[in-house]
Amino acid sequence: MAMAFHFHPLAATRVHLSPLPFAAAAAAGAPSPSSSSVAIAAPHHHHGRRRFSAVVATAAASAAATTEFDFKAYMGERAVAVNRALDAAIPAGEPPAALHDAMRYALLAGGKRVRPALCLAACAVVGGPEAWAMPAAAAVEMVHTMSLVHDDLPCMDDDDLRRGKPTCHVVYGEPIAVLAGDALLSLSFHHMASVGSYPPDVDPEKHPARVVRAIGELARCIGSEGLVAGQVVDLEMTGTSEPVPLERLEYIHLHKTAALLEASVVIGAIIGGGTDEQIERLRKYARSIGLLFQVVDDILDVTKSSEELGKTAGKDLASDKTTYPKLLGLEKSREFAEKLLSDAIEQLDCFDKEKAAPLLHLANYIAHRQN
Amino acid sequence: MALSSLFITLPVPKVPSSNSRRLLTARASSAAAPAASASFDLRRYWTSLIADVESELDAAMPMQPPESIHSAMRYAVLPGAGKEGAAKRAPPVLCVAACELLGGPRAAALPAAAALEMLHAASLVHDDLPCFDAAPTRRGRPSTHAAYGTDMAVLAGDALFPLAYTHVISHTPSPDPVPHAVLLRVLAELARAVGSTGMAAGQFLDLAGATALGEAEVMQVLTKKFGEMAECSAACGAMLGGAGPDEEAALRRYGRTIGVLYELVDDVRSASGNGKMRRNASVLRSLGMDRALGIVEELKAQAKTEADRFGDKYGDRVLPLYSFVDYAVERGFELQGAAATS
Repeated sequence: MAMAFHFHPLAATRVHLSPLPFAAAAAAGAPSPSSSSVAIAAPHHHHGRRRFSAVVATAAASAAATTEFDFKAYMGERAVAVNRALDAAIPAGEPPAALHDAMRYALLAGGKRVRPALCLAACAVVGGPEAWAMPAAAAVEMVHTMSLVHDDLPCMDDDDLRRGKPTCHVVYGEPIAVLAGDALLSLSFHHMASVGSYPPDVDPEKHPARVVRAIGELARCIGSEGLVAGQVVDLEMTGTSEPVPLERLEYIHLHKTAALLEASVVIGAIIGGGTDEQIERLRKYARSIGLLFQVVDDILDVTKSSEELGKTAGKDLASDKTTYPKLLGLEKSREFAEKLLSDAIEQLDCFDKEKAAPLLHLANYIAHRQN
Repeated sequence: MALSSLFITLPVPKVPSSNSRRLLTARASSAAAPAASASFDLRRYWTSLIADVESELDAAMPMQPPESIHSAMRYAVLPGAGKEGAAKRAPPVLCVAACELLGGPRAAALPAAAALEMLHAASLVHDDLPCFDAAPTRRGRPSTHAAYGTDMAVLAGDALFPLAYTHVISHTPSPDPVPHAVLLRVLAELARAVGSTGMAAGQFLDLAGATALGEAEVMQVLTKKFGEMAECSAACGAMLGGAGPDEEAALRRYGRTIGVLYELVDDVRSASGNGKMRRNASVLRSLGMDRALGIVEELKAQAKTEADRFGDKYGDRVLPLYSFVDYAVERGFELQGAAATS
């Protein structure tokens, strides 16, 4: 546990507010075997070694190396298992029914379950049985859902629709949406802390300490130094006509998006019994793909049509929102995405190829999704 | 624990017929305090505890970037010790008293005690939002959303929940004397108490207007909104102090009873002009003053019975719990300014 707090990578970037997230982490004392290569991760230091398409080819090649791996089937099976765990985790038949209905409405609305998949895959890559990490996988999805429910509120983003369905507050009213979010947050911690959530084959000696450490990681990544910090800085940036400087933009994405992805893989690896070195490598992996997720989002917004995206294209431009293409240009944004993907994949080098296949494919999926 | 278990076991109430205000005043002066109470000064015990809890909370929430959110979180949790409107910190007192009763060190319970206040504050911040109670003030100063904006208040609440768990994990002395398995039970207990079957259920029922219904519904709201939190306080203290299953169960019942008692007496005092009128003084309209006073007597007797269980084994260490019952009913002293003078 002491290790986890010592490294504190979010805090490290926050203090330095550097566009070189991993260099900052290295400066803060995190062991960084790849720090020489990640130090050039910043777009304005870009060396242009490989084009984005080259990464696609590399990724395809490494995918071919793990011939039998069927990513689509993998994700489908995990989504089914996670949905089952989520369904079972909501107190059944206990009043108040309407509050539990609202929680279920938000939580069981579908979705790709990327965060739970990352959590399960991280547990497996360090050699732990996936079933050990299922309560943690369910917990990160509850937290993710809760943040969406509160984000959609009229006093926040004021969204009426999510994934084509009316948002929680539209269906149940604002007060119940606030409460349902709070209740999902509590449920995530209750579910993770409860002995009854775990299969009987966990190591009775090591398991409690691992779960305590994992809960600490989850709480830190979603609180005022993690997810909430990203939302706050984002809020403070909205409404100003000044363009957001690059390091601010990166701060927002590292906290708003990457922090929960980081929590997902880190708590999966902790519960799976990973070593501190494995955990820190996976932390870097998650931070790279978290940032990658947002860079790709920004690129898609300017390159795809509304039909292709399934949502309004060009929205960022219209709303004056600061994006990577706006700050760096499209080409440099693509180069940055390429660099982030190769950084993430590099962190998987020390793991068994077969066991790392899901994490490799998840990174590629985030880089190459078309919507 | 079944929701209604607390009330099913209650003895047939004596129904007082006199005017409530006179009754409470009379009780305060003539209460036959246990002889040993003379040697125990609850005010001093409580005051010293408030000082400990305030400094624990202050240290747990340093000002750091982004400053706006940390400032809002501090505003919600630290209303200014010693000033008018200072928090009484009853949940932490209960938590520490339960731990100390069993011989556990205060340091084992203080992080959980602080976490209870963070969770409590988080739910109050959300409860005050314009879409809820729309309360412009809390404890005599602007509520968090009035001071920081609605969006920041939502986020401050969202950040205080996880901070509570972080604080317990990083500050509770573990694995010695608190084993990791016990720490997990404490975390689960905290999360349960504020979740969809605990305090959030109480807020929901309150919202749904359950207080306008019959006695069972009114008591359910009080139990969920206030009893669960106090039960959680006592249960956490019990676990951290190394309670056996029977001791933990008794302290849970004690905590739940005293949480409802404390709130009900607040409502009685409000309705009789002894305090500020709460929105839910309608509890009194539903129950009627006589019945409310009857329930106060029942709960008081029940809490004392639970505390009595510990008297033989732990001697004078039970006195904080015992005195707390009397205080809940009589409010024999004011705590305002207490922390400032300590």
